[in-house]
Amino acid sequence: MSSGSRSSRQRSHSTRISDDQIIQLVSKLRQLVPEIRNRRSDKVSASKVLQETCNYIKNLHREVDDLSERLGQLLSTIDADSAEAAIIRSLLSN
Amino acid sequence: MRNQRSVKQEFLRKWITGLRRYSCDEKKNMSFLERKKAIKLSADIAMASTRDKTTRWSQALIANASSSGDTLTGSSKNNSSRSRKKMLMMRRRRPKVKSAKKEMSASCIAKRLVEKRTRKLKNLLPGGESIDEGCLVEETLDYIESLRAQIEVMRYLVTASQLIINPYP
Repeated sequence: MSSGSRSSRQRSHSTRISDDQIIQLVSKLRQLVPEIRNRRSDKVSASKVLQETCNYIKNLHREVDDLSERLGQLLSTIDADSAEAAIIRSLLSN
Repeated sequence: MRNQRSVKQEFLRKWITGLRRYSCDEKKNMSFLERKKAIKLSADIAMASTRDKTTRWSQALIANASSSGDTLTGSSKNNSSRSRKKMLMMRRRRPKVKSAKKEMSASCIAKRLVEKRTRKLKNLLPGGESIDEGCLVEETLDYIESLRAQIEVMRYLVTASQLIINPYP
């Protein structure tokens, strides 16, 4: 990476992520998501990690959407001000 | 790392407060889709507010929500930014086609792939289009953590609601 190309890269709004950041992202992701595994733990491909992260976030979004839908069906039968809501709240605060 | 339990409690409290607005009489006849959007929106905002303006994604989420007002159909904003993005990407691609080098080295291909996927990741974060790469990883991890907590609480509420409706399955 020569200095000449770096200046032109800055002009063109580069999206370079540093290797350190990739390593940090991978180690944190591993802690959060045991399902994300690298076969070769010493060699990490940045693009692969980014792709896994994107897929994971998309899955999380889908789950939020799905849960919102289910709650939409369930909560239509519960008044948020009612005693049931108070029960739920107290259950979840333990 | 934050204390996850207190985060979840705060999220739940704020979320239920937000949901209360939709249980008043005039909103009782919402369509199923409207109700789902209301639940999701209040959950997203409640989770973002637990971050207390310390992260970009949470600020962007709240800003987007308040600018689209109380309507549940604030999707026009997303469409315009998406089409603008497509135009920008097209403009960026053309000079590369005209370059003299016809062969691309493997590292060049890899770099472009990383750039492309970095952009994809930015688009998934609220307010991610304008984020700089130095913060991207931190924001992503924080966002993922918050989403997981949000999902856990929402799941809990689903289970509790199901039990209340049908206590003796």
